[in-house]
Parts: sequence; C-alpha cells; structure tokens
Amino acid sequence: MDLNIRIGGEAGQGLVSLGDILTGALSSKGLHLFTGKSYMSRIRGGLNWFDLRIADSELFALKKYADLTVALSADAMEILREYTSPEGIILYNADGEDKDRTVYLNFLEIAKETADLKVMANSVAAGAIFALLGYEPDSLFVYLQKEFHGKGEEIVRKNLKCASKGYAEANKKSLKLKAPGGVNASCDYTSGASAMALSAAVSGVKLVSAYPMTPGTATFAGLAALSDKYGILVEQAEDEIAAVNMICGAVYAGVPALTATSGGGFSLMCEGLSLAGMMELPIVIVIAQRPGPATGLPTRTGQEDLKFAISAGHGEFARAVFAPGTIQQSYELTRRALETAHKFQTPVIILTDQFLQDVQKNIGILNPEYNPIDRNVSEDADENYRRYALTPGKISPRAVPGGKTLVICDSDEHDEKGHLTEDLEMRNVMQRKRMSKMDLLKSSLTAPEFYGTENAELIFICWGSSYGPCREAVDKLNAQEKKAALLHYSQLWPLDAAPVSRLFGKNARVFVVEGNYTGQFLSLLREYGVTGKCEPLNRYDGLPFTAEFIIEELGL
Amino acid sequence: MKLSEADKQPAWCPGCGNYSILETLKEVLDELYPDKSGLVLVSGIGQAAKLPHYIEANVFNGLHGRALPAASGIKLVNHTLEVLVTSGDGDMYGEGGNHFIHAIRRNIGIKAMVHNNQVYGLTKGQASPTSEPGFVTGIQIHGVKSFPFNPIALAIVEDCSFVARSFSGEKEHLKEMMKAVLKHRNGFALLDILQPCVSFNHTNTFKWYKERIKPLDENYDPFNREAALKTALSTENEIAVGIIYRSRRKSFEDSLEVLENGPLIDRYEKNK
Repeated sequence: MDLNIRIGGEAGQGLVSLGDILTGALSSKGLHLFTGKSYMSRIRGGLNWFDLRIADSELFALKKYADLTVALSADAMEILREYTSPEGIILYNADGEDKDRTVYLNFLEIAKETADLKVMANSVAAGAIFALLGYEPDSLFVYLQKEFHGKGEEIVRKNLKCASKGYAEANKKSLKLKAPGGVNASCDYTSGASAMALSAAVSGVKLVSAYPMTPGTATFAGLAALSDKYGILVEQAEDEIAAVNMICGAVYAGVPALTATSGGGFSLMCEGLSLAGMMELPIVIVIAQRPGPATGLPTRTGQEDLKFAISAGHGEFARAVFAPGTIQQSYELTRRALETAHKFQTPVIILTDQFLQDVQKNIGILNPEYNPIDRNVSEDADENYRRYALTPGKISPRAVPGGKTLVICDSDEHDEKGHLTEDLEMRNVMQRKRMSKMDLLKSSLTAPEFYGTENAELIFICWGSSYGPCREAVDKLNAQEKKAALLHYSQLWPLDAAPVSRLFGKNARVFVVEGNYTGQFLSLLREYGVTGKCEPLNRYDGLPFTAEFIIEELGL
Repeated sequence: MKLSEADKQPAWCPGCGNYSILETLKEVLDELYPDKSGLVLVSGIGQAAKLPHYIEANVFNGLHGRALPAASGIKLVNHTLEVLVTSGDGDMYGEGGNHFIHAIRRNIGIKAMVHNNQVYGLTKGQASPTSEPGFVTGIQIHGVKSFPFNPIALAIVEDCSFVARSFSGEKEHLKEMMKAVLKHRNGFALLDILQPCVSFNHTNTFKWYKERIKPLDENYDPFNREAALKTALSTENEIAVGIIYRSRRKSFEDSLEVLENGPLIDRYEKNK
C-alpha cells in the first residue's frame, strides 16, 4: 500500500522546509519513501509543490494524484484540489468549516497563538499531517528536537508545542487516512544530485568548475558541500566556456575534474568538449536536462538533449554518454564515467534531468569512503616521452606536467610529440588513433537492464530517468496480468541496439518511452538497425513520467 | 601529403615583432628556469599563441580566447608550476575578454604576455579590439568606429597585482619587464607588449611606436593607483612603458583554504 502527500503553496512559503521536516520525521518509521519537487522559476509567489510518497514496498516514481493535499495557499487549493484522489483529504491552511473532504486548519494562526511565532507554522502543519495519517507523533518530536537542537532549548520547546497543537487540532477531525505501516526500510535517504556529488568526491574529483544553471546547480552545490571534507577545489566560473576550459586545464595538470550544467550551458561548452576530444583529455560533463529550446522551462524536467550530447562539438571524436535511471545509478555511473574518461583519455557525458536530480529515496547509506579512481598516469615517462605516442593499444601513455618530462598538448592537429602539424599523413594516423577509441568503448559497455515478464506483450524501451516510472507501470500491468517488461539503457553512447531487436515477439507492442517530442532514442535505434514496430511514448510538458501517464497513453 | 618539414620553422612573417619577443623570452626563461619541467606555456589561437611550440616547456595550446581558464585549471591543480600565457590582442582582449576580467578579479598567479599589434594577423588583417578609430581594413571598409580597448586601464581599475607594458623593438626593456613579470609572486601579472605587424598594420609601424613610447620616470611609484590610472588614460601623444601598476593583493591560490595543505596534485592518492 502507498500514499502520496502533496504540499502545495507559493514560493517562499516554506513548503520545501515542511517537506523536509516530514521526510526526516517519517524516515525513521521504516517506510519506503520517495519525494520530488515541482516548482516555478521564481523566488516568491506562484504555485510550487513537494510530493512525498510513503509505502510498504519500494517506490520508483512520483504520482499524478495525491491522497493528502496540503494546500498552503488559495492557488494551491484551487489548482491541486483537482489532483487529489476521490478518497483523499485536502488539508487547507485557512479558516473555515470542514466540508467536501477538506479539513481547515490555519497553521499561521495556531503557531501565533501557541508560540507567538509565525515561522513555526511548519511544525503545526507537520503535527496535523501526522494526525491525519493516523501516526503517533513521537518520531516527529524526535526529528524536531534533533533538527532545532542547535537553535537553543526555547526554540525546540516552542516547535514541539506547535507540533503537538497541530496534532491535537487535526486529531479532533473525523476525516482520517489509512497510511502504510513500517517495513524496516532504511532511514537513510538521498537525492540523485547528492548521490552524484558524493560519487564524484569519493572517486577523486579534485576540481569542479561550473556556472550555476538549474537543474545542474544541485550537483555543483552538492560538491561544494562536500569540498571541505574531501579536499575539492570548487570554483564558480565566469561562464560555461570558462568552466569547461578550466577542467580541461585541470585534467591536463593531473587530477580528475568535472563540470555540471544544463542544456543551455552545455551549448556554450561544445568547443571545449571538442578540445577534450582532440587533446585526449579525460573530462566529465554532467548535463542535467530541462525542456528547451532556449531558456525553455528552467525548473522542469525533460530528456531533450540525447542527440545533442552524442553529437555535440565540431569535428569527430570518441566519447561515452551515460544516463543513470535511479539515484543508485547516479552514484555508480558517476564513478564509471570518471573511470571511462581516464581509461580511454576522452570526454564523458552524464545525462541526468531535473526529476532525477531532485528526487529523494531511502536507498540506504552510499559508501562515503575516499577511494580514488586509477587516473592511468604514466610514471615512467622520460626525456623521450611523446604525449601522443602511437602504441599497439591505441592509448598513449599520459604523463602530467611537473614531472620528469615535458608534456605538450595542442588543439591543432599534432604529431606524436604534441606539436602542431600540417603533415596530412600524420593527420590520418592521429584521427584513426583517436577514433579507434570508439571500438575500445564498445568493448566495455554497460549493458541495458531488463525487468519484468519474459515473453512480454507490452515492452517499454527507456533510458535515463524514465526507468522508475516505467518500472512502476510494468509492476501495475503485471499485477493486472498484462505481461509487461522494460529494457532500460543507462549507457547511450556508444550504442548497442541488439538487445532491443531481441525483444520483438509476435504479439509484443514495443514502446519507446522518453521525455521529448521527436523520439530521439527511437530514431537512434532506427539508425542502428532496429526495424521492428515501435511506438513512441513521449512527454514534453516539463513534468516527469508517472506510471499513470504511461498506462493511460497505452490506450488499452 | 607529407608537409612536416614545412612545419618546423616559425609561422611568422619576416620582420615580425614576434621574433624578438620569442628570442627575448627564451633568454629570460633560460636564465630563470634552467630546468623547464616546472614551466607551462599556455596559449589560445593566433600568431602569438603559436609561440609555445618554439620554446622548450610544457605546452597547452588550447582554444581561441580560452588560454586563461585552461591556465587557471592548471595553476589551481598544481600551483608550484610557473604558468605563463602567451596571447595576442584578439585572443586575450577580444575572444577572451570575459576571462581576462575574471582572471584579474581572482588574482590567480598566471603571467599573461599579450603581443599587442592592434590588428588580426592570422585571419589576415581585420581590426582588433585595440585598433584605433579610422583604421581601415577589408572588413572595416570605412574605418573602425569603436573606441579601442585599454587593457592597462582596465587592469588597474580591477586592482590587478602587476601591470606592465613594453615594446618588442626595445629588447633590453622587454627583457627587464619579462623578468619582473616572472618574478612577480602575488597573483596575476599582465605584460602588454606593443608590437608592429609588418604585413597588416601600416598605421602603427615600428617607427610609429618608436616615436611614442616613453619609459616611466625613475621616481614613478607603481603602487599609486590614481597616478597609474592617470598614466594609463593619458591622451598625450606618448605611450608609457614600464611597470605601470602594482598592488599588494593576496594571490587566489594563497587565499584558498583547500590549498593550505599543498597542491591538489600531491594529495590525490591519500587525500590529505
């Protein structure tokens, strides 16, 4: 059983803080948690919401409908009421008589009366929510004590008083919800952006240079938060062009380095990406996608930059593109991206998006131990060293400046030593050497993951963050004996399309589920020889896929 | 086609100011850095940016206009390296203008030597950010209308820690300035080197510069910001050369907590 709590209100009303309190307080109850944010690109006003799903089985996505809608503003009441399930409850932050499954409680007034402090309205609301869910308030009290400990006893006492009051007031109401019980799920939760930042830190990223751009900023900020602990230099560059060139310089000088941005910022990085291809520099770029073109929907989600990521940058060069599907994969593939870049001396891109950056789930503790990747730096370079030496393995030994040898790198076509050349025979040799990395990359691909029923009749092909919603759709359909399965790609480049072709059966309907208009992955599959009947299943309104959306689109 | 033999000679025109800059820099580097392993030359694109290929050093010859961010990345990973940027007026003041502003703002310990010939050479004769109004080219057919960029004044306004100017035709002065730049230890240093372009700039010729350059007075105090700005903004028919401005700012590397325990490159394996 699962239940979706949605807190809606204006930007600046503290709804994310309320969401954080609830997530923290509920995390100790052994429930499965899944949270997500939907917000407008503004600092005050508008309508934002925070979703918190709780369940007695593992969760993978957000939901369209809420079971408990907490409306902090009149707009939230007006708009989100429609998206509350028929058996659900609306908790409205206003004065009024309870009616139509709406419970009225004025959080601000109660906080003022109880503690003479309006800022404690969130504690009142949290208490009220606990009561409507039928949970004892203990874990909320423990969380508030821990959270406000640093602010002094008086603040803790007042918050507890407000939470108790909210709980008591809501407990008087006759409307209640049936909420799931704990199943010993982990109390440790994290977001996609934080998991990515932690992975980069433990893998040995020592320099991060970026220009803030939603939703890539979450990774940038996550690394800044870890920078003192792991000794990372985090620099806010003057623009994305500087950011990418700075990490090119950093990896040349010898340490792993990374930048994070969104599609618009990545557009500015394209020349730098091409530079890394030519100079054979192991840079990693995180693109957190949002809908475009241009500024598009800055705070929403999308999967519109796949074809851009695989082909960005002038000229031809080898690269790998990863697209994690879960928070766990955000952690694992960040390390893999760094390892791949350093093993093959070529740029690597990680495609994530606003949805996956912002979602939180209690996946347990991610290993925080510093365990740097092998940079594949050659220690025995001498005076005869040539940075681009032609070797049977195609990968030239990489030395770094400051050691026994001089290291020469050029963005022009160059000879083995690294000096610019217009020897056109050397050009061919060097281009073949660089492009041969595509074959090496193909030999160590991350295989797509299959989930669901063998001989399925409904098959979802997906990539990146669509994994979770597709997985919930598969489970729902299989529960209705509809024989569903999914195939999820977390490495998109180089592409191995063979696993898709193998899925076609006599009765199967195959859908390619992706957050864009044109069906970019589907067209890529076509280009790579997939000929069976596939139906596009797209979403591009800026909201993440949900199982409900996918199943509705099937038109069964 | 095997053209490698044709690559070995510098790609500059006979009589180009770059030759004397290269020769002088080689002498200075040989004197100050007999061991070249700790020296990194970073450049972008342009005729000046080719200079690192003709010098024995570590080389990062990157993208047009982007020498400074690449050099910043190198310096921040290993600040024990001497990181020297060789650039031209188009590369540094045009394409790379934003990075120029922000490298000075950071006061990162990079030495920037800008060959300023007031014209684009490699693309064959278009106006540069430092070209004078009225300068006629194949693109600016009625003459340049914009006001020239003043790198010295901008650097002083930003409180750059070291600002100097020299002329490729005055070898001893140039040598002295290059040495001073390389010995500078508290942040970003700019050396703007005036240089004639024999092929594309027939206005600002060797003679033109020679008649106008004027070494700073012996009593000139480079730490006086107002006097420095006045010098930089002077509209007299003369161009001041020498160390025009210095400040006592702390370098970016010295102000970063993360570098207190030594360069990042030395702390990779153990993270201490």
